[in-house]
Amino acid sequence: MSGRNGAAPLYPGEKPVGPPGARTPVALLETRLGYGRYAPTGDAVRFTLNGREIEARADETILQAAAREGVEIPHLCYMEGMRPDGNCRACMVEVEGERVLVASCSRRPMPGMNVRTDSDRALHSQRMVLELLVNDAPQPPNLDTELGHWAARLGVSAGRFPMRPQPAPDLSHPGMQVHLEACIQCTRCVRACREVQVNDVIGYANRGNAAKIVFDFDDPMGESTCVGCGECVQACPTGALLPSLSLLAR
Amino acid sequence: MSTGKRKRGGAFAGAGLRPAPKGRQIDAAALAQVQALLGERPRRPDLLIEYLHLLQDHNGHLPVAQLNALAFELRLTPAEVYEVATFYHHFDVVKEGDAPPPPITVRVCDSIACHVAGADALLDALRDALGSSVRVQPAPCVGRCDAAPVTVVGNNAVEHATVGSVSAAVRERRIEPVLPRYTDLDAYRASGGYRILAECVSGARSADDVIAQVDASGLRGLGGAGFPVARKWQFVRGTPEPRCVAINADEGEPGTFKDRYCLESDPHRVLEGALLAAWAVGASVVVIYLRDEYAAVRTILEREIAALLGDPPCALPSIHLRRGAGAYICGEETSLLESAEGKRGEPRLRPPFPAQAGIFGWPTLVQNVETAYWLRTVLESGPDAFREKGQRGRTGQRYFSVSGRVARPGVYLAGNGVSIRELIELAGGMADGHELYAFLPGGASGGILPASLADEPLDFDVLAQYGCFIGSAAIVILSQHDSVKDAAHNLMRFFAHESCGKCTPCRVGTAKSEILMREQQWNLPVLQDLAQVMNDASICGLGQAAPNPFRSVLRFFPQELQS
Repeated sequence: MSGRNGAAPLYPGEKPVGPPGARTPVALLETRLGYGRYAPTGDAVRFTLNGREIEARADETILQAAAREGVEIPHLCYMEGMRPDGNCRACMVEVEGERVLVASCSRRPMPGMNVRTDSDRALHSQRMVLELLVNDAPQPPNLDTELGHWAARLGVSAGRFPMRPQPAPDLSHPGMQVHLEACIQCTRCVRACREVQVNDVIGYANRGNAAKIVFDFDDPMGESTCVGCGECVQACPTGALLPSLSLLAR
Repeated sequence: MSTGKRKRGGAFAGAGLRPAPKGRQIDAAALAQVQALLGERPRRPDLLIEYLHLLQDHNGHLPVAQLNALAFELRLTPAEVYEVATFYHHFDVVKEGDAPPPPITVRVCDSIACHVAGADALLDALRDALGSSVRVQPAPCVGRCDAAPVTVVGNNAVEHATVGSVSAAVRERRIEPVLPRYTDLDAYRASGGYRILAECVSGARSADDVIAQVDASGLRGLGGAGFPVARKWQFVRGTPEPRCVAINADEGEPGTFKDRYCLESDPHRVLEGALLAAWAVGASVVVIYLRDEYAAVRTILEREIAALLGDPPCALPSIHLRRGAGAYICGEETSLLESAEGKRGEPRLRPPFPAQAGIFGWPTLVQNVETAYWLRTVLESGPDAFREKGQRGRTGQRYFSVSGRVARPGVYLAGNGVSIRELIELAGGMADGHELYAFLPGGASGGILPASLADEPLDFDVLAQYGCFIGSAAIVILSQHDSVKDAAHNLMRFFAHESCGKCTPCRVGTAKSEILMREQQWNLPVLQDLAQVMNDASICGLGQAAPNPFRSVLRFFPQELQS
């Protein structure tokens, strides 16, 4: 079964959907976000980062330009090479003149923009997001994961909030394990499965605090249409998706 | 091929071959059912939610075998269908071996106006009285706060609900919506309706003139944000074609029911406004996104749009009515765009704004129902007449939804700048035995203010100094018999229930806050930290506004925090 990729009409009389040449969901997202093949080209952009004037390429986000300049911004749902989704909100920065904070993974600098990654307000949100996520993760946090790394880096730990109910692990697949008790709903696995490998087995189901990663119709991974490519394991920043112990032991 | 789970062993085991591809296989019977239901309808992925309604209405639930078949028909994957079906409250996905829900669902509104009218006790009593053959659920605001408490039996809204009236509706199987009397196409035309639209389309009025008039009237978006209408039109007008107009009829803000009032009394006035906006910005597509709770409005619009297309006053753009499925978040403009594309109603990050890239990436003008409603008035009586309706130095007029502890809750027309005290007078004064203690100026999101501010003029921007906003002008009046602390908890419960789950501050923040606010003694430092991250770092207005009621308690009602 393929994804939403039919460029030609499927049925006689079907009307085309979306702008010409942009019918796949990924292409639609790229059009909207000005990302991938729709990324802007042109002159470098000069803007101010933490009081220092720096230059960014036209297609760079604040987070990418900052990283090149050696300014570290926490991030979890963003992964180099993948479409930024801006959902985890760990990379929030303060932009002068804007009412709320800005996700630096998903925003391109504008000429003259004044950005602070280290203001009290930005740091408060970065820390709180990490604290909320670590609070609901298995304890102690695994420092080998990106979540554990950033929590340690920002000096946050669990305990101030009631913990969410935790699901049981899914060990149905011979090659991979699913530990949603460590999941932070960043949807990197969804993008890995849907947009990188175009397998489209993983989805993000339910709503609110009950939202969860699922395979097909919330089936056990081993009984789903998963082909076992492992892209989701590569993408997971928390160890919610892991290689099986039997593979590790080899 | 039957319900295809992968089978180990069997005839192929020795050869190491699979009897079938991995995962569920398409069930032939389910596929035939789905194909029969879809008929000749186009197999377009953006119509997924419409087709899920088709299956849900037919079965009373969504069997997974049919969802798999629907995915096959629409060339979607199982995950893409499942994640959408489980996002919306009005869909019930049932897996093999699980019991389907009872045929009748009774939804008991437990949002703020119904809450103070005793919804919790009604919910418990209905659960006892109706037994297990009926599903009784608490539900977020159904937009009938003037008749609280409200219960919806199937699609039939029972106003001023009692155990007796709801039980009778269930017993007599009264589950269809009751249509109100409204102005139909003939009556609307007879009163001069669609004359202005025809003048515009024929060239008797120019777009520049119309936009200048709307600008001079001071008309602002009445969905909540209050963005000047003419300025938004100018943005969209300058964008590449094709363009789209989306009418936001997903009114879900607790306490708000004025859009329903507009659509149930004078639907063509809204349609003409939508078509005027489409003409002014040069849009070829009009999408009306209607919340599923307004079943009567859906019937009215289906009927009246068909009548209009059957006898058009002039050349019309294509008009599409989209049915929501129980999600407050879809009233947020970018979530609405996602939902109108047949997806989960999750907000998009801005920029790009809908005016740059909206439905299918097309530049889209998103306009509230009431904003469209006033356009004919503005163009007919002129911008000055509309401006002069304002009071105390403010301009223009709008509908206020007034509910809670007043004698005659309802929709009241008043000039901007009107005060709460004047609105209470319009609504017949306070209810017997109640004195004004507090009020919500803008539904769940707008914060809560004390009686001492009842003489402040109400308009956009003026309440910002109190950390509040008027939003959709949903006025809920609380009295000395109500606790603002309890109201704040009720509102946080609403936000936690309606959070889409996309961003961390809102998904986790509302859930944790709701649990912490159940406590007799609030843990203020922790709750304040949560309030700040929700306000600063959430993607959309839901999470950003969720802490407003909590912050109002701290600022204006500190006496309630001392136990």
